[in-house]
Amino acid sequence: MTTSKYIGKRILQVIPLLLIISFIVFFMIHLAPYDVIDSITTPNMSKETVALMKAKYGLDQPFIIQYGKWLLNILHGDFGYSVVSQHSISNELATRIPNTIKLILPSYFTALVLAIVLGLFAGANKGKRIDRWIDGICSIGISMPTFWFAMLVIYILGYYLNIFPIIGMHTIGSENSFRDFLRHFFMPYFVLTVAFFPDLTRYVRSSTLSQLSEDYVLVQKSFGASKREIFTHHISRNVLLPIITQIGLALPMLVTGAIITESIFGWPGIGPFFLSATKSLDYPIIMAILLLSATLVILGNLLSDVLYAIVDPRIRKEGSR
Amino acid sequence: MKNKKWLAILTIAISGLLLLSACSSTSKKSEEKTASKQEKDTFTYAISSDPSSLNPINVSDRWGLTVANMIYSPLVRVNADGSTTNELAESVEPAKDGLSVTVKLRSDIKWSDGEPLTADDVVFTYEQKVKKENGNADSLWVGDKPIRFEKVDTHTVKFILPSVSSAALNNIATETYIIPKHIFKDVKDFSVSELDPDPVGTGPYKLTKYKRGEYLSFEANDSYYGGKANIKKVVLQIVENTDTTKVALKKGEIDASYVLPSDISELKDSDITTYAYSENRVGYMGLNANSTKLKDQKVRQAIFYAINKDDLNKAAYLSTKYYDNAYSILPPNNPYATEDVEKYKTNTKKAKQLLQEAGVSDLKINLAFTASDDAQSLQATLIQQQLQKVGITVELAGGDGTAIYTELQKADSTKYDLFLGGYIMGNDPDLYSALFKSTGSANYFHYQSEKTDQLFDQGAQELDDAKRKEIYADLQKQIADDAIFYPIVDNKKILAVRNTIGNVKKAGLVPIYTFEDLSKLTIK
Repeated sequence: MTTSKYIGKRILQVIPLLLIISFIVFFMIHLAPYDVIDSITTPNMSKETVALMKAKYGLDQPFIIQYGKWLLNILHGDFGYSVVSQHSISNELATRIPNTIKLILPSYFTALVLAIVLGLFAGANKGKRIDRWIDGICSIGISMPTFWFAMLVIYILGYYLNIFPIIGMHTIGSENSFRDFLRHFFMPYFVLTVAFFPDLTRYVRSSTLSQLSEDYVLVQKSFGASKREIFTHHISRNVLLPIITQIGLALPMLVTGAIITESIFGWPGIGPFFLSATKSLDYPIIMAILLLSATLVILGNLLSDVLYAIVDPRIRKEGSR
Repeated sequence: MKNKKWLAILTIAISGLLLLSACSSTSKKSEEKTASKQEKDTFTYAISSDPSSLNPINVSDRWGLTVANMIYSPLVRVNADGSTTNELAESVEPAKDGLSVTVKLRSDIKWSDGEPLTADDVVFTYEQKVKKENGNADSLWVGDKPIRFEKVDTHTVKFILPSVSSAALNNIATETYIIPKHIFKDVKDFSVSELDPDPVGTGPYKLTKYKRGEYLSFEANDSYYGGKANIKKVVLQIVENTDTTKVALKKGEIDASYVLPSDISELKDSDITTYAYSENRVGYMGLNANSTKLKDQKVRQAIFYAINKDDLNKAAYLSTKYYDNAYSILPPNNPYATEDVEKYKTNTKKAKQLLQEAGVSDLKINLAFTASDDAQSLQATLIQQQLQKVGITVELAGGDGTAIYTELQKADSTKYDLFLGGYIMGNDPDLYSALFKSTGSANYFHYQSEKTDQLFDQGAQELDDAKRKEIYADLQKQIADDAIFYPIVDNKKILAVRNTIGNVKKAGLVPIYTFEDLSKLTIK
């Protein structure tokens, strides 16, 4: 079928794109004025020891050979090992990515539902007080830095009211208690929801407004349909279409969506791992995570195109014509 | 009608939220009971990142050494004032000719699995550490020859030096954490960050669980030779964000953490006590001898005379409780340190005069510092102002610390003229040769002085302690006169501990490892 051919073609296009991205990132890491061994040496190590360590990780070789070696490993499905801690990156990602997803998925979903409700509502009441209120809240939400809001939440809910624990994902010793997980989960979840929803709300509101000015709304009105009927039967469906695109585009967030929030709450996800690797230029980790999120960006785009075609028959028909 | 629906949604949402918090607060009450039960036997210490290695053979970072010091023990420990305490060793006797050291082990020491400690373990440990490929061999080599290790009997080990070295003689028994041969004898590669069978040690605690990125948990080692620990469990909790750490400390989610002087006022009225202690660090301003603008000794001295050390330190570290002024390359507490050196007491008149004598006007230089370090950033701006007063223009070049030092280590680097830095090198003065000898691995100053090199060589070989002190006193004077290194501060490390934890001083606050012997802490 044409759709599967189309998908196949798009996936093939991913390969050269990833090659170029990985090359550029690798090159930029190489341009940095120091390398990962420099970041872990101490003044009492002799020059000889440092040289030995650099040789061990191939850092004394020319750039193109280092890149070639790394690429060869990746083609074998091997992300390699962290230079600083010498741990397998695949293992590390396999434990950390689920932790990040546990946090991002519920927050994003909540933000989405909230955004659809608030956005439609604001769009339906354009210019009224409630619209201005929602718009105002969104403006505050967008302009508020996440780390600042996170500290505020920690201080009020975690310390002052003393409702939730501050650090980590579990209390040590009660790793299997779901209730304990929820208590640790609430604050970062809340912060992320607040971080995600304002943009989405504005998006929904503006697409509601553009739908309202469409001819079919006028037609429905002239047929005597109530505003409620128009909204539930027609506008909401058309508004949901572009939202699907948003969901596809949000796919890479599953890996890199909460870097700052995670490190503030000590959540053992990708965030703190990526941050410390970047600080010490631990290039195998940086490369692995960037490759992963680049793949997700590309796949997310593809996914949203495909989903769009499935949901909206108009696009499908035009494609096959 | 529409409004009613909206209202309904809102009510549901709010009541849901209330329910959640209510349920969590009731659950909190029940859990608080269990938590307080747990708290009684657990000491939680916040660390800022994963230890980069748990292998005592190659560990070199702060948190890795902290962990090593909990699980394992060295033969001899160096105290903050330079004196030594025997740990696994009963006696340490250097030979008269300075070519060997005989260490007798205590015979009553058992590993945490019940096996006795023997000379085999010691020889095994040192034989792994001396291998260059394991990355931590430098202290066990004299010149280009390795030290050899010999088992004399079950409880005696002899270290044989290839040539006389006072420095090696004093340091050989310290800072190496002995690992059990019967556990690790089959390990092929000791350059890894975690040894494969679970660690068995002689230290006060046993590692029970390590969740990367989250925490390390420990349990008291029943067979610890120093007596069983007072606190049953210890958790090293990894928290990267310092603001989060502060709130968690106030709340009691963690019991102890390092804090900055500027945090103290914030922690004052809560149930927290702060302890300031010296890490024997020297914070300094270095001059790059490669820089053509700084070739003239008079110019360098003029810069030193223009700087006001007291102002720099008061601004960055607030109170003399939290710092000591430093005047030499050795930290003030070092047994070899002397203050009988040129101190360059602030004198703008003299600075101007020296500049005039050197025939320099409109001097423009730059100053590199680590931008993420608040103390350095503050001191850099102050130095800029102070030098402005004598007519020297300073351009601030804040950047990434590692990048700056990698640049400075290049043999012909001239990118930076002045730079701020700091080091913790240890007690033996020979360790400082890495920084100030012409061939030193960390000679960021590009300092070349035959006289200094000679004094370092003499000091390393001199066996008589009194003569050694003299040599190093001369050395410190020489470096101060050459005006290449401006010592600023020995800033203290500040540990904030909740009042439920007792005996902090008895557990001993030491550089790097924080607690010398964690087993001495008590908990209420």
